[in-house]
Amino acid sequence: MGAGSGRVSIRVNGAWREFELGRDLTPSTTLAQLLREGLGLTGLKTACDEGACGACTVIRDGKAVLSCMVLAVEADGHDILTIEGLGEDDPVVEAFAEQSEPGYGTALQCGYCTPGFVMAARAFLNENPSPSLADIKEGLSGNICRCGCYAAIAMAVLHAAQKIAARGGAR
Amino acid sequence: MREPFLPRAERAFIGQYRPKIDGREKASGQARYADDLALARRFPGMLYAKVLRSPYAHARVLKLDLSEAEALPGVVAFLRYDDPEVAALKKTNAGWTDGVDTVSYRKMMWGTFRDRCVLGNYACWAGDEVGVAVAAESELLAEEALALVKVEWEVLPFVLDPLEAMRPGAPLVHPDISADNVFPPDPFGGGDVFVDKGDVESGLAAADFVVEGRAVYHNATQNSLDNWCCLVEWAGDALTVWSNSYATDQTRMHVSQMLGLPIHKVRAVSPYVGGQFGRGDTGDQPFFLFTALLSKKSGKPVKFRHTRRESFHDSRQPAVYTARVGVMKDGTMTSMHFKSLGNAGAYADHTMFALKYAPKEITEVALAHVPDVRFESFGVYTNKIPACMMRGVGNSQFNLIFGLMIDLVAERLGVDPLELCVKNFGHEWESLPDKSLERVLEEGSRRIGWKEKRHLPGQGPLFEGTRRRGVGFSCHPAWHAEWQEVRRGKVQVGITLNPDCTVMLNAPSVETGNGSNTCNVLGCAEALSFLGIAVEDIHWSSIVDSDRGTKDCVQTDSAVSYLQSEVMALAAQELKDKIREIAGPVLGRRPEELEIVKGRVFPRDDSGGGMGVRELLSSGDLAPITVFMSRPPLAEKTGVPYFANFAEVEVDTGTGRVQVLALVVVNDCGTVMYASGAEAQQVGGQCIGLGEALTEEIVYDPATGVPLNFNWVDYHIPTMADMPDIEPVLLEVWKGGGEYGACGIGEGTVTCTPRAILNAIYNAIGARVDEIPATADKVLRALGKA
Repeated sequence: MGAGSGRVSIRVNGAWREFELGRDLTPSTTLAQLLREGLGLTGLKTACDEGACGACTVIRDGKAVLSCMVLAVEADGHDILTIEGLGEDDPVVEAFAEQSEPGYGTALQCGYCTPGFVMAARAFLNENPSPSLADIKEGLSGNICRCGCYAAIAMAVLHAAQKIAARGGAR
Repeated sequence: MREPFLPRAERAFIGQYRPKIDGREKASGQARYADDLALARRFPGMLYAKVLRSPYAHARVLKLDLSEAEALPGVVAFLRYDDPEVAALKKTNAGWTDGVDTVSYRKMMWGTFRDRCVLGNYACWAGDEVGVAVAAESELLAEEALALVKVEWEVLPFVLDPLEAMRPGAPLVHPDISADNVFPPDPFGGGDVFVDKGDVESGLAAADFVVEGRAVYHNATQNSLDNWCCLVEWAGDALTVWSNSYATDQTRMHVSQMLGLPIHKVRAVSPYVGGQFGRGDTGDQPFFLFTALLSKKSGKPVKFRHTRRESFHDSRQPAVYTARVGVMKDGTMTSMHFKSLGNAGAYADHTMFALKYAPKEITEVALAHVPDVRFESFGVYTNKIPACMMRGVGNSQFNLIFGLMIDLVAERLGVDPLELCVKNFGHEWESLPDKSLERVLEEGSRRIGWKEKRHLPGQGPLFEGTRRRGVGFSCHPAWHAEWQEVRRGKVQVGITLNPDCTVMLNAPSVETGNGSNTCNVLGCAEALSFLGIAVEDIHWSSIVDSDRGTKDCVQTDSAVSYLQSEVMALAAQELKDKIREIAGPVLGRRPEELEIVKGRVFPRDDSGGGMGVRELLSSGDLAPITVFMSRPPLAEKTGVPYFANFAEVEVDTGTGRVQVLALVVVNDCGTVMYASGAEAQQVGGQCIGLGEALTEEIVYDPATGVPLNFNWVDYHIPTMADMPDIEPVLLEVWKGGGEYGACGIGEGTVTCTPRAILNAIYNAIGARVDEIPATADKVLRALGKA
């Protein structure tokens, strides 16, 4: 945002989007609000709106951020990836959707926390492509799943890592 | 790979390990919830509602001055407690039904306790909705408008503790209902003594030993991630409410009856719901009504979304339990007296379901062979958050004392508590020992390593200087067999077969996450397996819309996993008959001479001929074939299966920290309808179970009565890093009536967790903590260190 220009440019899922202060957002609009209400990208959820649950996780410049804790104006000039921007064959999405082997249950029930977990897991796997179970537990401990699918989520992340490796490490 | 469950009978679809049918939609972020649908971009002109919440635990609004708030640009409508349309609303209760049935105002379950005003001027807890609601062009504006409202409060003395509330002179919460804050008897719950079998006092006097115990259950709350949200559009003489209610028919009935609209003028729609766990009882919540009135007044669609803080809206019923158990030297339990004192908080709602209705069911099953049993309970109003349904309602609380008494009696007698259970508990339709209970305990014992790991209390080996380990368990009878669902009334299902042999399944039930939609699709595929179709050939709707006119089978009692599938099994027979009738003239046979197997219709006598069903249907008039079946649950009393949780813990005797090392969750399901979903319930339930056992509790400021931790930083929900290794064990031992004879298990998975952990703590350190959450300070106090 140029000083006093009142314009905010954010690259959302690969396309630059322009916003105008006063018309599209205020200085206190969060990134989560702008993405959900301004752009209709409702995959991310605002469950706590204070950085405690991870349901609003998106990826900014390759790193996971809580979009409820980022002001929209802070995203000016940055690259934002939401779950809607993932490919049809995204390995993490596939792994979460398919998880069902005996002993762990499914990686999702109500699904409300799932997009946040998927985005957190993607950013985590970018940094640690072959994690141990302990790494996963630590790495994803910022997200809450009240349905309690943690064991299966951990398995899904392991499977996603395998899928990524099998596809030659493509992100 | 873990040990998969072994099905009793081989089936084509039922019982599978497979992905959830909505897995892809949810994992990719495409699934839409109420908050996602209710966007201004979809509803132009939409307004946002907010309601004034009492900052005081007990207070009355004496005067409102809205002049400054009204002058704020963008504020569109106000609704005040003294507006005629508000003041005319009947007093109500947020639990018209326990969820199984749809209930009118007149027939509401807890009609004795109509203690709620819709937007009244009387606040009974710090957070109560009172005085005024506003609709504005943004949420921020609505909040600003409320901040500009000048309120003259009459601040009243308050009471938080139920014992203090019972004392003469205590502040009265609802003097029109109780002059001493103690709930009067009611038709559903009964009197203070609500079970009195045999002669308890004589039984205790004649027993070789009498063992006494006490356990305290604090108030956790449901914490569904999907905050309460509704959008109401009242246009002309009709109203539509989109919401994350899990009971659309009841929402429609509630709105219709409270606002005086005929049923066909109210439409209730629920898309995917982000977790339920019992919150808000059956959703007969005043906020639907004032949001509707704001829509009427403004002529615009109005959205009311609770913040996270506001979604701390109700809690599990906290209660203090005491018990006396008379037992003979040979281990026979002869006499039991259980007493509870429940803190209902500000409104009664379903308090008596937890304190009386649920424990009463235990007597006819688990305690059927104990000659003398008395249950006594007192529900008490205080100025805390209202108590409400929560997963395992009443049973979770009761298990905390039940499992304690088993552990105490076993210790007194010097026997294994597992043997004590098998010797004493069963149900009234069978002699002892109960096969389900025996198998459940055997499996749990084997998987946790009970015999190897169990030792005398506090006598195990020491780890790293200060840590001790122990194992514990608790068991409970299930309460979701088909005969226990009779009050639900008819279960309705429609199946439409398209000319290309694809299927439209009409089995409405709001998808709250528990997997019963997958059970239903598997049940449909199983019932239609004569057509040779695949799961992918069946369409189901993730949106429940009361305008479809089919009864919504409410996601409560975890029973939707099989209730609709049982009806589908019957509907499929009718569908088969209809296909035979169509095929008869085409094949030149009488319909009863025809058989249908794997999608082919042919003469039973093997005389040759026949054709594919798809070929048959696509050559006719292309009209879909629809069957609709409406059947009440089977009333035949088949008893219930058992479930149990086993825990291994490590307690640091220096810091008091408890770490759960392993949990084994065993459920006898009758029939496993969908294995991955059932195991997801078993594993997933431990987030609530372990949270309640160790960390979750609403904390109040004793000086003001204001709750202090309505957020997820100070109210700690377990995360992935807190969870132990959990082994889910599914069994098929017991069988109920019908094709599958299944039993709901979702609530049962959480019920025994706190007690299993507390018993394991005792086994580890030899000192009892009988109050949850078992925080470090309580452990140290039990050890005499604090």
